[in-house]
Amino acid sequence: MKRSDEFYIGYQKEVGPGTKKLLKRFIWITVLILLTGAAVFGFFQRPAVNSTFDFGNPTQVSGVYHESPYPMLRVPLAENEFKEIVLLGFGKSGPNPFLKDLRERKGDLNGKQLTIEGQLIYYNGRTLLEIDDSQKVMVSGTGAYEQPKSMGTRTLEGEIIDPKCYFGVMKPGYGKIHRSCAALCILGGVPPVLVTKEENNREVYFLLTDVKGNPIHQDILPYIGQPSRLTGQVKELGEWRIMQIDVSQIEKLKKESSIY
Amino acid sequence: MGLDYKWVFWNTHKKAYDRLIVSGMVIYLVLFFTISFLTNPEIIAETVIIRAFGSLAIIMLHIILAIGPLTRLNTKFLPVLYNRRHLGVSMFLAALIHGIFAIIHFHALGNVNPIYSLFTSNMDYGSLTNFPFQVLGFFALLILFVMASTSHDFFLHNLSAKTWKRLHMMVYLAYALVILHVFLGAFQQETSVFTTATLFLGWLTLVSLHLVAAFKESKVDRFVAEKNTEGWHKVCPPEEIEESRAKIFTVKGERVAIFKYDGKLSAIHNVCKHQGGPLGEGKIVDGCVTCPWHGYQYLPHNGQSPPPFTEKVKTYALKIEKGMVYINPKAFPEGTAIPPISSS
Ligand code: HEM
Ligand code: FES
Repeated sequence: MKRSDEFYIGYQKEVGPGTKKLLKRFIWITVLILLTGAAVFGFFQRPAVNSTFDFGNPTQVSGVYHESPYPMLRVPLAENEFKEIVLLGFGKSGPNPFLKDLRERKGDLNGKQLTIEGQLIYYNGRTLLEIDDSQKVMVSGTGAYEQPKSMGTRTLEGEIIDPKCYFGVMKPGYGKIHRSCAALCILGGVPPVLVTKEENNREVYFLLTDVKGNPIHQDILPYIGQPSRLTGQVKELGEWRIMQIDVSQIEKLKKESSIY
Repeated sequence: MGLDYKWVFWNTHKKAYDRLIVSGMVIYLVLFFTISFLTNPEIIAETVIIRAFGSLAIIMLHIILAIGPLTRLNTKFLPVLYNRRHLGVSMFLAALIHGIFAIIHFHALGNVNPIYSLFTSNMDYGSLTNFPFQVLGFFALLILFVMASTSHDFFLHNLSAKTWKRLHMMVYLAYALVILHVFLGAFQQETSVFTTATLFLGWLTLVSLHLVAAFKESKVDRFVAEKNTEGWHKVCPPEEIEESRAKIFTVKGERVAIFKYDGKLSAIHNVCKHQGGPLGEGKIVDGCVTCPWHGYQYLPHNGQSPPPFTEKVKTYALKIEKGMVYINPKAFPEGTAIPPISSS
């Protein structure tokens, strides 16, 4: 068996014809691998939903502030028609750091009419508002707001998400990939929300509180972004629901999340 | 051959190689972005950037890891090996962009340090399907960083070829971490038979190539020479060695290359001082053994690089008896001149 006498040396200009042929083939195969790779990895991504974050496009919103128990704004849309807008802060934080100044000057904000300039986040009929500057929150009077109405005890399966990302800032804003971000958001003061699907495949959203109705953040971190089963008192507040749960009773389910 | 001459052509090859790397990466990214935004119009740019660079990096890693066994199977692949480090550094840069964007996207703007968050925002270290997969990517990126930053010859000279080689073998650890990063991470949520099958196929190809190449080399190592009374090893008749080429034999656990040139035979240690290239797969060029990997040269009779270079390898004594070549397994110190024997 006679070995081909071609021998490539990097600092010499000549490249043998056999080597050249093989290199050409190698380059074409590599290009083919790259094209196939881009096609496969690009094409087989889960479709993102049409949630929206009005980044860089602030809106002024006026409504009655209340903590039920998370900071919300009851905004009139038409006569006897209201939207309950959940308030959020900049980055992975809740609204409280941006309301601190105002609280120090005006005391309890519950029932105060606030005008806020912030960036809207919306999806599936729910709206949230990101406040990125405490100077853009003003008090302009007082107003009435509703107490949540009780709907009894329920047991539900779904996934706990952070509503800031889920309703628009990130895609995907749920599940394993997004889990650490959701944990940071909720730790930073964003209310935890349970997403479930009703029989008609419509999504329903529950703001989660502890059994006494107080906000929960740190304690719920181990349960975020995974399918789980929760039991608690359910209340209705406009287009949102509230569920009062005992965090230690959350059951992790070993199956794919129903919201994918 | 003057040094300047070497430098110039060395550079034209390198430039062509770098141009190919950059074009390949650009083609990939453009196609990925186009497909993503056309088929998934609601997707956000950050996610596409993270996914484009992550998937590009893992594909490049597969190509890099395939080059080694391919050259061992067919030396015509050597030109690809020459500048593999450029491919490595480019792959690291793609992975770095992926990692930085992921850290900013998922971990910045919170009330804890992003790196602290990377390790603590998911504490399910005991679970497989919920494992904090980003930590695996982080350690892979760290290894790739160490490798990319020591890929220059400066470190090769200052770390000793063995340490450098060991360091760069860690690419296999990085590969394992990346595979786990993807299978325990993205694939737990973005489940598609096609992406999973593609990566599985890539893994299978790499494993097979490495096995086939190892099998080919083990044939050399399995060779057991007959010994004569004084301890010389009988290797082969001189006609089995081609002119200007060598045959490799393993004696006392060391690979030795026996070269034939100008009707003479000389034996030197098979391992190049540069990056451990197989000298016995090289060729005699301008009277020097020339390493197939990057062209380092050694004089066959004394194992020394011609001045001004200073590399030296061990040499061995040969003799011919009854039409058979015998080698003395006891190596001489690096650079010891041994008179060549006549090949007839
Ligand atoms: C600090 C280091 C890293 C972090 C924080 C990180 C983070 C992530 C995240 C969050 C995802 C899921 C993205 C999504 O699907 O939306 C992901 C996926 C992925 N990562 Fe990494 N990663 C790191 C390092 C690496 C390295 C070094 C590689 C390869 C060389 C790599 C390759 C991939 C691949 C192939 C995917 C799946 C495809 C994709 O979705 O992008 N990652 N990584
Ligand atoms: S290993 Fe680089 S020249 Fe021999």
